Amino acid sequence: MEYENEKRMWSPLVERIGIPVILGAAVMLIAVFVPVLVWAQDAITQAMSVEYRDIPGIGSRNVIWVVAQQHLLLAGFVLGVPIFAWVCELVGWKTKEPRYDKLAKEFTKLLTSAYATTALFGGILLFLLIGLYPKLMAYLTDIFFPSFVVYCILFLLETCTLYMYWYGWDAMQGSKKGLHLFLGFLLNLFAIGIMIVPNAWATFQASPVVISEGSAIERAWAATWNPTWWPVNIHRLIANVVLGGFICGAYAGIRYLLAATKEEREHYDWMGYVGNFIGVFGMLPLPFAGYWLMREIYQYNQQMGITLMGGFLAWLFILQAMLIGVLFLGANYYFWMGITYRIPGSEQNYRKPILAMLVVLMICLGVWMTPHSLVASLEEARKMGGAHHPLLGVFGVMSAKMTVSNLMILVTFMSFIMYWRAGKQETATWAKVAKAVMGALLVIAGIAVIVLGVWGYFVPAIIRINYFSVAQVLIVLFIMLTFTPLTAALMKSAKTTTEMVWGQMPIRAGYCLVSNAVMVILLMSLMGYARSSSRVHWHIYGVMRDTSEYAYSPALGYAAAFMSLNTFLFCLLVAFIFWVATMGEKGKALPKEGLRESPGKVPEGIAPALAGGSPTSEEISRT
Amino acid sequence: MSEVAVLQLIGLVVVGIGLLILLFIKAMFVRVVGFVIIMLGIFSLIALGVPQMPSLPPAIETFDLASVKTPDDLAAIGQKIFFSKGQCALCHSIGPSESARCPDLKGIGAKLTPEFIYESLTQPQAYIYLDYRHQGPPKEYPARMPYINKNPIALSDQEIYSVIAFLQKMSGEPISIKVEDVMQLANTQQTMTVAAAHRSSDFERVNPTESTDAPESGEAK
Amino acid sequence: MNRPLAKAALILIGMYIVLVYVLPLFTAPLPASLIYLYLALTLSAVLIYYTISGTTLEEFMGPIVRFLSGVDQVGPAKTARLLVLIVFPLLVGWQTYTRLAPSDLPPPENRTIHPAPPGEFVGLSNPFPKTPENIMMGKGLYAAYCSPCHGANYDGKGPAAPGFNPPPANFRDPGTIAQLQESYLFWRIKKGGVGLPVEGMPWKSAMPRWEVELPDEFIWKIIMGEYDGAGQSPRTWEEEE
Repeated sequence: MEYENEKRMWSPLVERIGIPVILGAAVMLIAVFVPVLVWAQDAITQAMSVEYRDIPGIGSRNVIWVVAQQHLLLAGFVLGVPIFAWVCELVGWKTKEPRYDKLAKEFTKLLTSAYATTALFGGILLFLLIGLYPKLMAYLTDIFFPSFVVYCILFLLETCTLYMYWYGWDAMQGSKKGLHLFLGFLLNLFAIGIMIVPNAWATFQASPVVISEGSAIERAWAATWNPTWWPVNIHRLIANVVLGGFICGAYAGIRYLLAATKEEREHYDWMGYVGNFIGVFGMLPLPFAGYWLMREIYQYNQQMGITLMGGFLAWLFILQAMLIGVLFLGANYYFWMGITYRIPGSEQNYRKPILAMLVVLMICLGVWMTPHSLVASLEEARKMGGAHHPLLGVFGVMSAKMTVSNLMILVTFMSFIMYWRAGKQETATWAKVAKAVMGALLVIAGIAVIVLGVWGYFVPAIIRINYFSVAQVLIVLFIMLTFTPLTAALMKSAKTTTEMVWGQMPIRAGYCLVSNAVMVILLMSLMGYARSSSRVHWHIYGVMRDTSEYAYSPALGYAAAFMSLNTFLFCLLVAFIFWVATMGEKGKALPKEGLRESPGKVPEGIAPALAGGSPTSEEISRT
Repeated sequence: MSEVAVLQLIGLVVVGIGLLILLFIKAMFVRVVGFVIIMLGIFSLIALGVPQMPSLPPAIETFDLASVKTPDDLAAIGQKIFFSKGQCALCHSIGPSESARCPDLKGIGAKLTPEFIYESLTQPQAYIYLDYRHQGPPKEYPARMPYINKNPIALSDQEIYSVIAFLQKMSGEPISIKVEDVMQLANTQQTMTVAAAHRSSDFERVNPTESTDAPESGEAK
Repeated sequence: MNRPLAKAALILIGMYIVLVYVLPLFTAPLPASLIYLYLALTLSAVLIYYTISGTTLEEFMGPIVRFLSGVDQVGPAKTARLLVLIVFPLLVGWQTYTRLAPSDLPPPENRTIHPAPPGEFVGLSNPFPKTPENIMMGKGLYAAYCSPCHGANYDGKGPAAPGFNPPPANFRDPGTIAQLQESYLFWRIKKGGVGLPVEGMPWKSAMPRWEVELPDEFIWKIIMGEYDGAGQSPRTWEEEE
């Protein structure tokens, strides 16, 4: 019918204007289109040579900034949580305490949706990079193509393992638990692989090596083994655990604030404690890893090191000190509140040690946050006799910063030990000796760290960096590695004098957990900016220059606004993921709860998905 | 209003919203959001309070070969190339360095003739072995040194001779490379861009048709 | 009776007195930015300490809350509350005004004293051996070209020094050349003040661009003489020497 219509329409047309005219029109068309085709050819060659594309108004770099940061933070979360969950599962399996297994499962559930979101952002990032930075991507692809393939394979394996791990959780309880734990181990192994392969791409940009001729695999391998690859791998691995732990803590904190029942409060109080604990434990070795990374950067290229530490990024490290300081304080604050609130009647006994720790922490923080070169008005500078204040030149240098960060780690560790021992009475015969030895060791270690720090001013930089700083780190590690098993042995035989009471923490404890998570996310954003802007105007340091209009590095304030935005977006994303994950559980959990408990206990008046969430079971509370 | 002032204003507004939420809203989740934005706002305000210093990329320097009058001028160009386009400093150092992965080039200009250095750069497999401190019979490994006159680095002969002049200078030697000789080297381009030259060499890798001598990859003697 | 509020106030005031009045007796006075920083840290320490447990929180915050809410207040307390409620906003307003009011003072500056050198100057090392003759020659050149500003004693107190702001570098200060490598000095001497990157504020430095007048050889030898004369040694990455 339609065809007929068309025919009727067309045939008179042909008849009327005749074939020559049509031919002429065709020639005309060709005449018009040939140049167009040639232009198209031009466009193709032009497209091949496009170095940058821009998104007007927003700026290509800003878009990449936000998307890459979201992807990286999500990835950190997705890689940190399985480590965390797996350790919890292992602990649950060893101690036969079901609540650990339950905690692990609760977080693995989040993993599946978070994993998909991460992949989604990774995909967006990839498309944007190919579209906006074709020159750079072509260069990187040329070098790294074999590792792209490896990455894809790892991704497939990771996905398979994750689904088996999650969906097999209940099926593999009991005798098959070992297999499940092995799956969890594999999951973490692939996850680490997934992290370190792209790390090679990013670290190659910061510290490229010369690529000789060779097969594609040889070249990719040479580029992968660049000087900062492993330092970044280790640093990120630890940081991911910290992120996972603190986000878990924040989740528990919010759920604690929203909790309506006593059971919920107890469960989330405990979960917050575990999250904070894992975060703190990851955080303790983190400065060491950061120090190693910084040292490798300095060795790789001094110019980059100076840009970071003394050049235009110097103030960034003051901000970093501030954030780390707030994080350390927050973590300790939570421990201290835990002691006074969870162990009734312990308040008076612990006031003095807490005060001492607080004072040490604050002095350390004061030294750490003192900048090397100051902001001073002209008048002040005249009074000081130049922009170099004699006293602050002393506090501003690396030797002082290394010393105080070591001391802060030591104090935080002691905070944890104190929490561990709180409310318990050692019964072992050797307890007195052990405590005396530990006290003496602690004092000696503290003095040794300070002495090495002060001595560090009087020796050449290389001796300080190679021996003194390493010695300080080793001392602190030694204390941590001896105290933990010693205290564990002491606590094994200790009798509990005051039982821990969960669910008694004040509201500010919940906020404190949230604050810690925000600080960690901000820190990761900040250091991401540091890593990226230490390359200054290079895509690949010293090899490929950034010739786009965004080659400059923005000032700290502008960058901080972006970091805040990124942090906020990430928090929203995570909240959304958690909300989605707990939505399904609500339908199942509530009726059961309703059956088991009196109807009055069903939470009401609060955002239902967030409040009505996880079924809280009776085995949670130990009392 | 400057950018900093605008951002400060936004930061203050965000903190203000957060405070209002904490003061007047009871819903716990919203309160937590308010708390978080207060923290983020304060962080931004503090970051806006420290000295603001963007880092601007330096201008892309262009060297006009015609301006090269003395061997010192040549060495100055060689210095730039050594530390940027030539990528020499990615492995080599001049003077002892912990991070150097390849031989220290201090005094190399005094030890080796320009012809030998030229050969080492363009035919790295001729005399250099992977284990450069190795004594005794040569090993069978190919040198890690790339062909400097081929992709991806692809220095021209003029550029290579400038680098050699620089190395001689850094050895406290008189520069034996003659400016006239370098000028005479057949080269189509009159100017060489040191920093911007990456662009063309990178582009050649993307577009192999344009490159003059495509590398024979995977060929190690 | 425990008075945490009074204690906290005492601690803060004590800290302020130490920072502003006691410290300058021993060393140069601190700039306001640092005094704020240290006071903020002290305040947060106090807040943390008194909010760790419920009882101290009540002891600390209770009086403040009761005072500000004004429940059951009579007499002087009532007037005091009214005063606080009036004075505090005025104080904030005054602060804001003083920060925004135009002033003839130059803005606080933050000049990076030792910015990162350009790439081609990072990896250089002195091509001349450290022989007594070379050092002697370097010292002679230093006396001729550098000492008018940087001083014959390498202390930055040459006869021309008082004319400059920022003052010429004092090489005896362990924060200057002892922190730097020889290649860094080579860059600074050769390219001078105008060769600094933006963060180093090239418009402020009066250091001449010596490459115009001195050959590289002289510069390297001056560096040698400078370190020797100031009794410092360059920062190196090797452990010996």
